[in-house]
Formats: sequence, structure tokens, C-alpha cells
Amino acid sequence: MALRSDQGIVLRSFPFGEADKVVILLSPNRGKLRTVAKGVRKTKSRFGGRLEPLTLVDLVLYEGRNLDTITQVSVIEAHPRLRTDLDAVLAAGTMVEFVDLVAQEDEPARRLFLLLRRGLETLEAGPVHPDVVTAFLVKAADAVGLTPSLVACAGCGTPGSFRRFSFAEGGVLCESCRTPGAYLLREGLVEYLAALADADLGNLPDADPSLSGEARGVARRFVEYHLERRLGSMAVADA
Amino acid sequence: MFEPPIQRLVDELARLPGIGRKSAQRLAFHLLNTEEADALRLADAIVEMRRSVRLCSRCFNVTADEECAICRDPRRDPSILCVVERAQDIPVIERTGTFSGRYHVLGGAMNPIAGIGVEELRMRELVGRVETEHVAEVIVATNPTLEGDTTAMYISRLLKPAGVRVTRLASGLPVGGDLDYADEVTLGRALDGRKEL
Ligand SMILES: [Zn+2]
Ligand SMILES: [Zn+2]
Repeated sequence: MALRSDQGIVLRSFPFGEADKVVILLSPNRGKLRTVAKGVRKTKSRFGGRLEPLTLVDLVLYEGRNLDTITQVSVIEAHPRLRTDLDAVLAAGTMVEFVDLVAQEDEPARRLFLLLRRGLETLEAGPVHPDVVTAFLVKAADAVGLTPSLVACAGCGTPGSFRRFSFAEGGVLCESCRTPGAYLLREGLVEYLAALADADLGNLPDADPSLSGEARGVARRFVEYHLERRLGSMAVADA
Repeated sequence: MFEPPIQRLVDELARLPGIGRKSAQRLAFHLLNTEEADALRLADAIVEMRRSVRLCSRCFNVTADEECAICRDPRRDPSILCVVERAQDIPVIERTGTFSGRYHVLGGAMNPIAGIGVEELRMRELVGRVETEHVAEVIVATNPTLEGDTTAMYISRLLKPAGVRVTRLASGLPVGGDLDYADEVTLGRALDGRKEL
């Protein structure tokens, strides 16, 4: 029977009972939050618009046995411009889908939260950088311990620039470690990915159209391979 | 646990939206205690509805015929199409009495987060209709949610080459409501969509 305050980014929601919604958020302090917003599907509710996906909110929660109930919400950032740009929404969709897949309940997720907040802020500022999703995936994977090895061999740790990439080994492989399934990546692609991994999402290096598409594909497959899940949002965006 | 035939009905009723265990039991016992003819009429109505209702071959509204009543009505203006997410949105718009065009039911909305894309929706059919039915304006009446907005933006991009006018329902304040009762997101959109007086 306790009230507590928290902050979160709304990831998604679904109808619950007659007029309620279950709202899933990412909190920096508690990771994934599963909450109930009562009565929000009625037009009289003043919560409705505040709990749309991609909104950064301050919350007051009433702690329940299973789900916490939202008793107050105030909007910190609703990202109104982002919502009017199809490419920005699709990019945000992938960011949110990834976070939803990896975040755990009752486990602080400060880095992931900051990264998602920065990603949405960048999309809000626009225009959409062609590599913003690729950079987000590589950086967010790193934030949850799935760091692709790009500047040293994933097998033996020898530093160097290698072009053979193994999804199973989690990075590039040197000539003596290379496995039959390792892909030969386009010249410069590994360095391109490494530069994206190191850059701030709001200040990415200029996109190279000859590498951008393949970099996106590698980042996507890397994440999908290690999470053993498909990123449906990327299939939607690439269709 | 009840006797198997009753339990079976309780289980079926409990699968309906908005019906919990308790309500399902109450309904099952009501049907048990009511006149047999009344209960059978309900069963018959369900069977009849499921057997006879299908989708309109033109707009995907529900109908008992090849085409729905709206598509068959010669007074409806075929040059204006109103795109809705679900067939049950059509009567809601019809009740306003202010729309005289035809409809197109998408079958849902794009949800990039959940991986619901355009293949799951009747987008190709929409493009086909715009081309063959000489449509001049498409009014997108999807829900004012992230999914509905995303779908609207996609339709606008999709139909740009066809040169058709694409409009979106304005979203704003509920009529009869109090300004200080609106959340800031709704109010912000109402401001964006303001009209000259
Ligand atoms: Zn090696
Ligand atoms: Zn029809």
C-alpha cells in the first residue's frame, strides 16, 4: 500500500478489461515497468494522450500485488514532431522494440534508458539520419552486454582490422580463427560500424550510401541472432 | 466446477471480451433458467450471423451480400473514400450524417513496434480502388494513436504518386468537455488543427 514516484518512456500498451490499459514503460531505476492505467480508454480520461508510446513521463504509482497502478502522469516530453514523420516513427519503433525485448523487470536500466531518450530526442530534432537505427542497435546491444567485437578478433583477441564477420562468434575473426560460416564484409564496413558504435546518436558521422544499407543489415542480424528473436519493426520499415 | 455442459458454456462465455469468470457464470445460469425458446433464439442468431455475414467485395465492410448496402447505394459519392481501421468504425461515422462517400476497411493499423506492417492490411486494395474508381479524395479516419497516425502517414506517402487528395480527421477537444480537463497532448493537437473564424 505504498505510493512511489518514477520516470519512464512508454514502450507500448494494450487494452485491459473494459476501460483500462496495461502500459509498459522503461524506467532508469527499475527497468521494465508493467503498470495499469485505469479508465484511460474513456474519452473523459485526462491520462489517455499522456500514455501514448514514445512519451517520456513522470509517474506516481500505487504499488499493487501484480501490477502497479498509475495514479498521476505528467508529460516531460511527448515528441510531437517525431510523430508526424513516418521515417522517424519507424526508427523509433525499432528502438522501442529492442528495448522491450531486452529490458528486465526490477533491474535498473540507466544506460538503456539514456540511450533510448537520446534516440527519441534525436528523431524529434530531425531529419532522420540514415544510420541512426544501426548506431542505436550497436550501442544498445553493448549496453546489455552484447558487444560486437569490431577492432579485435572475437576468437583470440588479436587487435587489428579484419573483414571476416561471424554472427555466432560475435564479431570479426582473424585469418587463423576464421570459421567457414564467417562472412566477408565489404571493405570499410567494420570501421564504419565501429565509428557508429563510438558516436553520439545526435551527432553521427556523415552517412556513406555505399555502406549504410549493409551496416544496417549486419547490425540487425547480429541482434536477431543473439536475442533469438526477429525485429518485426525492421521488417515493417524495410518492406 | 459445474456439470460438463454448463462448464463448457461458462468457458466459452468467459472468452468474450470484457466478460470475467463471474459474469460468465451469471450468464450461463440465466440461459439455463430462461425459457428454452429464448436461449435457442440466441444460439440461432449467432449461427445465422456467422453463416450469412461476409466481407463486402469492394470495401470490406460486413455484409450479407456480395457488396454492402453503402457500396450499392447510388446516392453515395464514389469519388470520396473514407479509410477506417475496422468495420465497426463505419456505423460510428454514419451516425454523424455528414459523410456521403464510400468506405475502405483496412483491417487494422500499422504497428511498427509489434511488427504489424502493410502486408497485414488492405493497402494494395486501397491503391487499386483509388485507380479504378476515380477517387478524388481519401479521408483517413484511423484512430488518433501512434498506430493510427503511422498508418495515415503511410497512406499519404503511398497515394502521393496517384495525385489524389489525402486528408486526415482533425483531432481535438471533445464537444461539451471542459478545456481544463484536456490533457496537454490532446490540447496541443487541437491547437495545431485550429481553424480560421
Ligand atoms: Zn583470432
Ligand atoms: Zn462495401
